[in-house]
Amino acid sequence: MTSTIDTAPVDPGAPRTPERPRPPVAKWWRLAAGLGVLFAFLWGVSGLDITAEQLGRAPGNIWTIIELSVPPDFRAVLERGALGKVFESVYIAWTGTVIAAVLSLPLAFLASNNVVPAWVRIPIRQFFIIVRAFPELILATIFLAVVGLGPWAGALAIGFSSVGTLGKWSSESIEEVAGGPVEAIQASGGGWLSGVRWGLLPQVFPTIVAHWLFRFEINVRASAIFGLIGAGGIGGEISSQVQFRNWQNVSAVLIMVVVMVLVIDAVSGAVRRRILAGSDRGSVDASQEALGDLGGFLTRRRERAAGDGPSTS
Amino acid sequence: MAETTTLSPTRPRKPRLRIRTVVIAIGIVAFTIYAARQSGWDWGSFVTVWTNPLWGRFWPIDWEWVSDRNNVLDPLIETFQIAVVATVIGCLLALPIGFLMSNLTTPNRPTFVVVRSVMNVIRAIPDLLLAVILVAAVSIGAFGGAIALTVFSTAVLVKLFSETIDGADPRPLEAALAAGGRHTAAVRAGVLPEVFPAYVAYSAYVFELNVRASVVIGLVGGGGIGRVIEAQRQFFRYDRIFGVLIVIFIIVMIIEQISDAIRRRVL
Amino acid sequence: MIEFDDVSVTYRGGVKALRNVSLTIDDGEFVVVVGLSGAGKSTLLRALNGLVPATSGSIQFNGTEVVGAKGAELRKVRSQIGMIFQTFNLATRTTVMNNVLMGRLATVPTWRSTLGLWPAADKELAFRALERVGIVDKAYVRASNLSGGQQQRVGIARALAQEPSVMLADEPVAALDPVTSHQVMGDLQRINRDLGITTLINLHFLDLARSYGKRLIGLREGQLVFDGDIADVDDDTFREIYGRAITPDDLLSMDAASGG
Repeated sequence: MTSTIDTAPVDPGAPRTPERPRPPVAKWWRLAAGLGVLFAFLWGVSGLDITAEQLGRAPGNIWTIIELSVPPDFRAVLERGALGKVFESVYIAWTGTVIAAVLSLPLAFLASNNVVPAWVRIPIRQFFIIVRAFPELILATIFLAVVGLGPWAGALAIGFSSVGTLGKWSSESIEEVAGGPVEAIQASGGGWLSGVRWGLLPQVFPTIVAHWLFRFEINVRASAIFGLIGAGGIGGEISSQVQFRNWQNVSAVLIMVVVMVLVIDAVSGAVRRRILAGSDRGSVDASQEALGDLGGFLTRRRERAAGDGPSTS
Repeated sequence: MAETTTLSPTRPRKPRLRIRTVVIAIGIVAFTIYAARQSGWDWGSFVTVWTNPLWGRFWPIDWEWVSDRNNVLDPLIETFQIAVVATVIGCLLALPIGFLMSNLTTPNRPTFVVVRSVMNVIRAIPDLLLAVILVAAVSIGAFGGAIALTVFSTAVLVKLFSETIDGADPRPLEAALAAGGRHTAAVRAGVLPEVFPAYVAYSAYVFELNVRASVVIGLVGGGGIGRVIEAQRQFFRYDRIFGVLIVIFIIVMIIEQISDAIRRRVL
Repeated sequence: MIEFDDVSVTYRGGVKALRNVSLTIDDGEFVVVVGLSGAGKSTLLRALNGLVPATSGSIQFNGTEVVGAKGAELRKVRSQIGMIFQTFNLATRTTVMNNVLMGRLATVPTWRSTLGLWPAADKELAFRALERVGIVDKAYVRASNLSGGQQQRVGIARALAQEPSVMLADEPVAALDPVTSHQVMGDLQRINRDLGITTLINLHFLDLARSYGKRLIGLREGQLVFDGDIADVDDDTFREIYGRAITPDDLLSMDAASGG
């Protein structure tokens, strides 16, 4: 059997055949990209108008604050009703998410290509994009002016803002559903609405609920922030404590916020996994959700690579 | 032989709704009602927030003010710079930390546990809360904002990235270790090529997040366009704010297109 | 020289992969290991370069104790042992060249390999290895664009780049078609004969074992049940090692099944 291995000692004088290839040009493209990033970074830093002296002092400043924050003063903070505020943030996030869920569900169907024709779908998709582009915090400030200070402005802001993201995620999940059941219903004489209600909805509902829960996790963080501008919740506490430089109170509140977020993430995550496992879709981890934000692009690719294949027929 | 026709088995009864499901459903509804009450639910406001005359102030847009570069362009550039700096540093940090945080490439168990816990805690801090604290600590708006976003970017990217690494093919890593490489070198040679495209894609995503976030950070004291918006808001100049928002929207759209193109190229 | 002394390997679930295996392999030998799936062939190879830690016993490699070796010592042992895998284990998203250079990871400083600044001497070794396996023209091709046989040759080049004294091959041809399988087996044979590299090959196909093997080791349920010259092997020996009659699945080519 002819061997492909040449084990003869190499004679340095003999001509080398075949020719050794040179490194490809693509290598230079990557170098250019790297340099581009470097220049962008330097440009960014220059604009921040920070002197080297300030940069040098910063770690020291931060360390001083850290030292002043220990030990966290829970008693003072709880006396001020911080715990109630934490719960308020959760209520705001929950209410807002419920509002967004109710509003986004029908809209999501109206944005799916297996439910409506393009002339309906495209404007609604655009609507989602515009809603997503509008910063939540600014919407909250507007609502504050209309309904006054307090949690309701925050809940409304979360409710309306989340419609954009939930609408996008939900419509993408709907589009991924296999068309079989809908066809079957329509073949047996059912109308379009029945097809959607009995053919699509049961299949996609677990995934959509998982989206709702994931958005709830994000909204809990948002509602904590809303407090900073007076829209209810724990943010207000942080704002005032920072203003008065009560660093021990600040750290106590911060810890409470972190605990709140971690608990909600854990519970919500577990429920999500439970729901999705039951619906035989596997788990939706954070990266897949973020990728959903990227247009489902990567997720579908990964699924294809894993052999699942897209579920649209 | 006697012919016995076996009737079809007795029809099963429709499974009763489990008590547990009913209880959970009632619980959720009750909680929702309670939460809504606590949040100050007001049916009327669903309409009034959109019909309030305040919205009239959004139009017509004060383009003259918007096009003056001091008002919008310069602060926008500062916003952009914050986003760029935060993304670059955040992504650089996230690369090694991501490897430490993945089961596949972590050098030892204690490191894995510690890094994972710390990053999970940091990820639980809402970005703007961190910004408020840092701005007060460092006392320069843009700088504090940049640091806060850097921390935020690292935490977000690290989670996404480490999950990708978890799913990566372990075999080239095995080969690199079998050849006698040290852990870091083996990870670099065996795992990095495979996860690098995802890393770039996630970095682009994080940049998008940062651009949006750095706009908002100005509202609470970080630098950039947010400060301008907040100032104008106090004078109810929503006509100017609307103009700014449109400019921002266009920029974010452009960035998204570029980001998509990068992702398509890279994946 | 390789010496296994009463080596046992128990995996974490309680599975006993190797039981009290003792054997000696001299420099330059060509050894084929056969046995059912799960008999311990893969574990035997991986215990030698420490990819799988041995639970008890001692493995001596050129005087160094492998069992319990850590850090620099273990890396030194591994650098002298080249390994090729059934699934090639290439970094598919990068070039053939980068894959072969992985063979130099033990000697090149970490900072250099991380930044991709390989010394000229190591690049020269990589090129030579590629030339020896006959695919130097593919040096900068993405590894995933190669055929199975070509990918395995890259694996061989990677191992050769280490300038090893021992070559381990874990079912190197299981994923290849018959023609390519014969090519690769022939290559391994020539490497052993002309470069004097001690070679240890796990094989699933018995006719290949008989055609190419010189010394045969048979494993059954983790135990060494045969160790001798290939000439002394007949169908009965295989039946003993396998614990059952030979089926066509155990042979590479159907002709051997009907003819033998």
